[in-house]
Amino acid sequence: MARTKGYPAPLEEKLKDTRLYSDEENPQFTKTVEKISMTIPHMCYQCGTCTASCPSAPRSSYRIRKFVRRALLGLEMEALNDPDLWLCTTCYSCTDRCPRDIAPTDVIMAMRNLAFKRDIVPVNFLKTVTAIYSSGHGVPNNDVNRAAREKLGLPRDPPTTHGYPEFIKGIQYILDYYELKKNADRIIKEREG
Amino acid sequence: MAETKKTKKETAAKKEVKKQAAPVKIKEKQQPRIGVFACHCGTNIAGSIDIEALQAAAAKIPNVAYVDNYQYMCSTPGQKKIEDAIKEHNLTGIVVAACSPRLHEPTFRTATKEGGLNPFRFEMANIREQNAWVHMHDHEGATEKAIDAVRIAVAKAALLEDLIPKKVPVEKAAMVVGAGIAGMQAALDLANAGIKTYLIEKEPSIGGRMSQLDKTFPTLDCSQCILTPKMVDVGRNENIDLMTYSEVDAVEGYIGNFDVTIRKKARGVLTPKEAEGRGLVGGGCNGCGDCEAVCPVIKPNLFEVNMKPRKAIYINHPQVVPLIYTIDFDSCVKCGLCVTACGDKKAIDLEMEDELIKVKVGTAILATGYDLFPIEKKDEWGYNKYENVVTSLEFERLICASGPTGGHLVRPSDGVTPKKVAFLLCSGSRDNTGVGKPYCSRFCCMYSIKHAHQIIEKIPGVKPYLFYMDIRAFGKAYEEFYYRIQDEGARFIRGRVANILEDPVTKNLTVMADDTLLDRPMKLDVDMVVLATAVQPTTGVDTVRKMFGVSNSMDGWMLEAHPKLNPCGTTTAGVYLAGVCQGPKDIPDTVAQAEGAASAASIPIHMGAVELEPYFAMCIEEKCAGCGMCVNLCPYSALALVEKDGRKVMQVTEAKCKGCGTCGGFCPGGAIWMQHFATPQIVAQIDAFLLGGEQ
Ligand SMILES: Cc1cc2nc3c(=O)[nH]c(=O)nc-3n(C[C@H](O)[C@H](O)[C@H](O)COP(=O)(O)OP(=O)(O)OC[C@H]3O[C@@H](n4cnc5c(N)ncnc54)[C@H](O)[C@@H]3O)c2cc1C
Ligand code: SF4
Ligand code: SF4
Repeated sequence: MARTKGYPAPLEEKLKDTRLYSDEENPQFTKTVEKISMTIPHMCYQCGTCTASCPSAPRSSYRIRKFVRRALLGLEMEALNDPDLWLCTTCYSCTDRCPRDIAPTDVIMAMRNLAFKRDIVPVNFLKTVTAIYSSGHGVPNNDVNRAAREKLGLPRDPPTTHGYPEFIKGIQYILDYYELKKNADRIIKEREG
Repeated sequence: MAETKKTKKETAAKKEVKKQAAPVKIKEKQQPRIGVFACHCGTNIAGSIDIEALQAAAAKIPNVAYVDNYQYMCSTPGQKKIEDAIKEHNLTGIVVAACSPRLHEPTFRTATKEGGLNPFRFEMANIREQNAWVHMHDHEGATEKAIDAVRIAVAKAALLEDLIPKKVPVEKAAMVVGAGIAGMQAALDLANAGIKTYLIEKEPSIGGRMSQLDKTFPTLDCSQCILTPKMVDVGRNENIDLMTYSEVDAVEGYIGNFDVTIRKKARGVLTPKEAEGRGLVGGGCNGCGDCEAVCPVIKPNLFEVNMKPRKAIYINHPQVVPLIYTIDFDSCVKCGLCVTACGDKKAIDLEMEDELIKVKVGTAILATGYDLFPIEKKDEWGYNKYENVVTSLEFERLICASGPTGGHLVRPSDGVTPKKVAFLLCSGSRDNTGVGKPYCSRFCCMYSIKHAHQIIEKIPGVKPYLFYMDIRAFGKAYEEFYYRIQDEGARFIRGRVANILEDPVTKNLTVMADDTLLDRPMKLDVDMVVLATAVQPTTGVDTVRKMFGVSNSMDGWMLEAHPKLNPCGTTTAGVYLAGVCQGPKDIPDTVAQAEGAASAASIPIHMGAVELEPYFAMCIEEKCAGCGMCVNLCPYSALALVEKDGRKVMQVTEAKCKGCGTCGGFCPGGAIWMQHFATPQIVAQIDAFLLGGEQ
């Protein structure tokens, strides 16, 4: 039975030992992230320009600065297991402004790749893969959108795979080639049965 | 140690000497006997290089008569080894394998001289900076490279000749360029040491940036109050020839004998002295300002960072030194109203032209200061776009009692006193994006803390917010100042501001930052933002820098001779640096460096003479075809064609020649002999390398 002492959250969570042990660090992680992202998180001086630029930060617990710090320290599992990793909108505002010329967005992208390799990925992202596989779109067109487009004098369907469904095959080929669809299906099945 | 057999087959190097022209002076041939000394430099060198192997290899090099090694060759016992070996083993040349010649060549030359040899019989092999330090993890490779370096040095040492440095007299006068606090202090020190000093300032008045400041950290003395007495001293000092509104036009010569041409820009107004020179006794500008009152042209006042108007005839502020008006001829319409207003003083000459003045000085100090980085380039903070975003220098004028608002800090948009002010530290500094400066501007932390104090003192209920990444309070009493202002109520937020938004109606500002210590993004509404803007070298200063042959470092500031051991000197003998032109520094550091530079610049003058390194080009007249192509190539105008025995030959002015070798490398007839870097010496070095020790 969790102790709460009257607080809403169980105290175990609050009281757990969270000191930073150096054996939790994986220097290789820093290097791998830098290699994939082609940017230099090890040069971060924690100014916070990225977090302050981030449209996600004021609306969630996502802190880009913290992920750059984890990249720097090699805190691999702490970074990959944090669900906030998936809250970046890839707007690149932080990358525009970082005074150390780091591309924090690309650090996030690298970490997402590494997380996916370990099957650490939210189901909704995997469902996006399924949607792209079947329609070519992460967010397929729908009737509300079609009506809005008509009102604006646009064709009901955009000149994408919606307009040219014969190209869906090509997209499927790419997703198959990288086994993205196969893996997404597998993980969804494991999680949802 | 092993005496080497002198019977070894001649090296290709020596054959090469024979192939070359006879050296300029015929010398009795003497079998070279070279002493080689390897330095451990503690573990600096010995940690990477096998000194024993190096010594054993050196002993086998032709012409090497003696080898030895020591922990620290530069120490007294190390130097003694060289002296003793020269005497005991009758050596003709010395090679020390150690650090860079920039560091200890003078040391070992002296030791060579003490041993009874000409000091130019010494050659250094750099096995530290160019070897041990860069090949720390490759002992074998490093040792092999060190053996190569020693072999090459020995090849040269075997061909070195006696050289006698020339002594030149030093003009008993100095020049200081730039009259901010650095230039003023340096000029005062020189003048008080009895040296005639020309102080050249491009603006109409002296004082520099410090005269624009209100108070100064950490003591909060009023900037003008501590500066004005010094300005007056400069103006009065008999040994200082103050030339304001003047710039350096050309520099020729070398240490001891710089011929400097100064352009005295036409200021349109005569000093009493100049008036007297024109026969107008009792005339000239007395600073009454009658002219200014009638001038119809209105321009922005640069001294007030464009926040106040000035006339086409103007002074920057009431305490200017010299108190002489100046006409800005770019905006003057020559209506002549000022001439009438000036009346009998007849101080105004609307037809005045620039004047070129030539002076000779022995040494020179550059003290050209700084400008602000154009912070509007950092788009996200909206400078020049949002009216209530100002720079720190604008803030200084706005809070200063003699400034455009009489010391009442107001918002530029509506003249209202702000109640919440954000200060953005590191604006454009510590920035590696390419837009901004990678370095720390060094005084912004402290002056922003000062700014917080100034508003707390003047505006009841005001709240200063300082957005910072690190507070660099490194100076004496600076940390205490930080403590004091935090106690006064300044709020420090550790986070760099990402961007600023403006309410188009109220012109209020919203500052977006990450309170990194709370790990929480924040949004702060303020009335005004002050950007603690990065600094950069004064615009256009490269011209004067190059005239004096001074380099700049990667960051654009002028380059000192050595960052630790020679921070006031430059690589041009006789030219020194003071103040921010060498890198950002606050007033205490600026004054300290200025005093150092003045002391350094006075040494050659007090010595009366300096030795020039005897690395001149020399003409081998029999070979010179008189084509004259070298004359145009020489960057120092040291060469000329002269008539000799009915034909033209090249002649070198030794004092002008810097020994760069441009002519020697070019001469198609091989008629130029570069002393100490002669072709046979260099060819011998190349051969020694290529032969790789194989006989
Ligand atoms: C907003 C602000 C506040 C500050 N507050 C403080 C403070 O409170 N305390 C403190 O210790 N420091 C403070 N500083 C730093 C201080 O301004 C500098 O340390 C000091 O002014 C440096 O003096 P300087 O003589 O090297 O340069 P400058 O003051 O820039 O003087 C250089 C002079 O050289 C002249 N010049 C430039 N080029 C040429 C040329 N080619 N020919 C002839 N003349 C030339 C210029 O016109 C100028 O007069 C502050 C700086 C700023 C920006
Ligand atoms: S903006 Fe750049 S330097 Fe600043 S905290 Fe973010 S990643 Fe680090
Ligand atoms: S790219 Fe990601 S991290 Fe950067 S500002 Fe956008 S959401 Fe934030």
